[in-house]
Amino acid sequence: MLNEERVILMTRMVSYEKNEGKKNVKVGNYFRSDYIAVQILKSVICATIAFCIIFGLYLLCNLEELMQEIYTMDLFAYAKNILTYYVAAVVGYGAVTYVACSWKYSRAKRSLKNYYHNLKKLNSLYSETK
Amino acid sequence: MTVLLEMKQKLRLIYSKYEVLILPVAKFLLAFVTLNALNGKMGYMTQLDDMVIVLIVALTCSFLPTGMLVVFATLFSLAHMYALSMEVALVGLCVYLVMYLLFFRFSPKDSIVVVLTPLLCGMKIPYVVPIAVGLLCGPSSVVSVGCGVAVYYLLEVVVGVSPNIKTMGEDEDAIMNKIRMVVEALVGNKAMVVVIAAFAVTVLVVYVIRRLSIDYAWIIAILAGAMTDIAALLIGDMLYDVNISVGGALLGTLLAVAVAVVIQFLRFCVDYKRTEKVQFEDDEYYYYVKAVPKMSVTVPTRTVKKINSQRVRSASQDSRSAERKPAAKSADRGAGAGGRSVTTERTSYGRNGSQRGSYSSARERSGQKGGRNTAGRSVTIGSTDNTRAEADDNSTDQTSEWL
Repeated sequence: MLNEERVILMTRMVSYEKNEGKKNVKVGNYFRSDYIAVQILKSVICATIAFCIIFGLYLLCNLEELMQEIYTMDLFAYAKNILTYYVAAVVGYGAVTYVACSWKYSRAKRSLKNYYHNLKKLNSLYSETK
Repeated sequence: MTVLLEMKQKLRLIYSKYEVLILPVAKFLLAFVTLNALNGKMGYMTQLDDMVIVLIVALTCSFLPTGMLVVFATLFSLAHMYALSMEVALVGLCVYLVMYLLFFRFSPKDSIVVVLTPLLCGMKIPYVVPIAVGLLCGPSSVVSVGCGVAVYYLLEVVVGVSPNIKTMGEDEDAIMNKIRMVVEALVGNKAMVVVIAAFAVTVLVVYVIRRLSIDYAWIIAILAGAMTDIAALLIGDMLYDVNISVGGALLGTLLAVAVAVVIQFLRFCVDYKRTEKVQFEDDEYYYYVKAVPKMSVTVPTRTVKKINSQRVRSASQDSRSAERKPAAKSADRGAGAGGRSVTTERTSYGRNGSQRGSYSSARERSGQKGGRNTAGRSVTIGSTDNTRAEADDNSTDQTSEWL
C-alpha cells in the first residue's frame, strides 16, 4: 500500500538529487582541504591567464613609449614591478577563492547532511512497513 | 488581498501546468529582445541585423540552457565589433575573457542577470536589477550584476568611439590608436565604476536586511536598498562628476521599488500578525523558533460533473428552494427556466489553509437537478437564465463565509 509520507520524502529527495544535489554530491566527494586546494589551483591558472591578457592590452596601449624607453629603462626593476603586481593579483584572487569555496563547501556539506538524514528516515519508514 | 492571493495561486497553477511551454517561450522572448536590442544598438554587421537570423537564434535559445543566451549575445556583440574594426573586437574579446575567467566562474547560474542587466540599462531602467537580485539571489550575484554593467558600458564605449574608428585608416599607427582609444575610454569610464559600486552595495544591503529575523524584513530591505542605491549614485556623482540624472535615478528607483514589491508578493508573502514564537529543547540544543505563516489561498476549481439536456425545473420552484438552508440552496442552484444546465463542482475553497475542505455532506435528492455535492459546493449554471445563476453564485459565496 502507498505510504504518503514515504512518497513525499522520495519525491523531495529525487528533486534534490536532480538539481542542487548533483553539485553538492560532487563537492561532498572531496575532503575540505582537497576541494579548496583544487579550486585555488584553478583560480591561480585563471588569474594568470587574465593577468596576461590585461598586461598584453597594457603593452599594446603603451607600445610606443615602451619602445622609446626600452634602452634607457631598468628592465630588471620593471620586471620586478610587473611580478609584484602579478603576485598581488594572484594572492588576492586566491584569498577571495578560499573564502568563497570554504563557504560553498560548508553549505554543500550541510545540505548533504540533511539529505543523508532523509535517506535514513526513508529507510526507517521502509522498516516500519515490513 | 484575497483576490490578489487567489490570482497568485492561479498564476502558480497555470505555471505548473504549462511550465513546459512557458519556459521556452520566455527564453525565446528574452533572446529575441536581447538580440534585437544588440542589433539596434550596434548593427555594424549587416548580415546579422536580419530578422530571420535573430528568429533562428532565439528559437535555438528557447530549448537550450539559459547560459547559451549569454554565449550567443557575446558572439553577436563580438561579430558587430569585428565588423566595425578587428582591434575593437580584440579588446572586446579580452574584456569578455577576463570577465569569464575572474568573475563569472563564481556565479555561473546567474547568466540571466548578466543578460538582463545591460538590457535594462539600455532601456534606462537599471535600478530594478540590484534590488531584485538582492531579494532573489545570493551575495555572489554581485559579480553577475557588475559584469552586466561592465558589458553595457563596453557596448556604450564601442558605440561612442565608432565614428572615430570608422575614419581611421588601416596602418600600424591607426591599429594602435584604435586599441588605445577603446581601452582608455573603458578604463577611464568613471560612470561605470560608480554604477558598479552603487549596485554592488545595494545588492549586499538588500540581501543582508532581507535575511534578518525582523518583521517586514523584505519591505525594509527594498526601501533600504532603494535609498542606498540613490545615495551611492549621488555620492559617486559628486565625487567623480559622472553626470547621473537625479530625476531619472529617482523615477527609476521608484519603479524598482514597485517591481520589488510585486516580487516580494510573489515570493515572500507572509502574515506577520500571526507570528508564533516557540521555544523547546532536545538532548543537544535549546531552540528559539520564530514561525511566520505564509499567506495562501486555495483557488476554487470547478469540475463539470454532469450536463443535462432535459428541461429543468421552473423558476418559481427554484425561488422556493432558495429559501431553504444553504446546503440545499447550493445543490439547487442554477435551475433556470429551461434548456441545458451544467452542473459543476467547486472542489475546494479556503484561506490560509484553515478553512479548506467540504462543508456539507453529499446531498442527493430524487428529482433534483443539482447533482451530488461531494466536497465543497455544488454549482449549477443554467444556460438560459444567467442572471439567476449569478445571483445564486453570490449567495453561495456568502454561505461559505457563514460556514
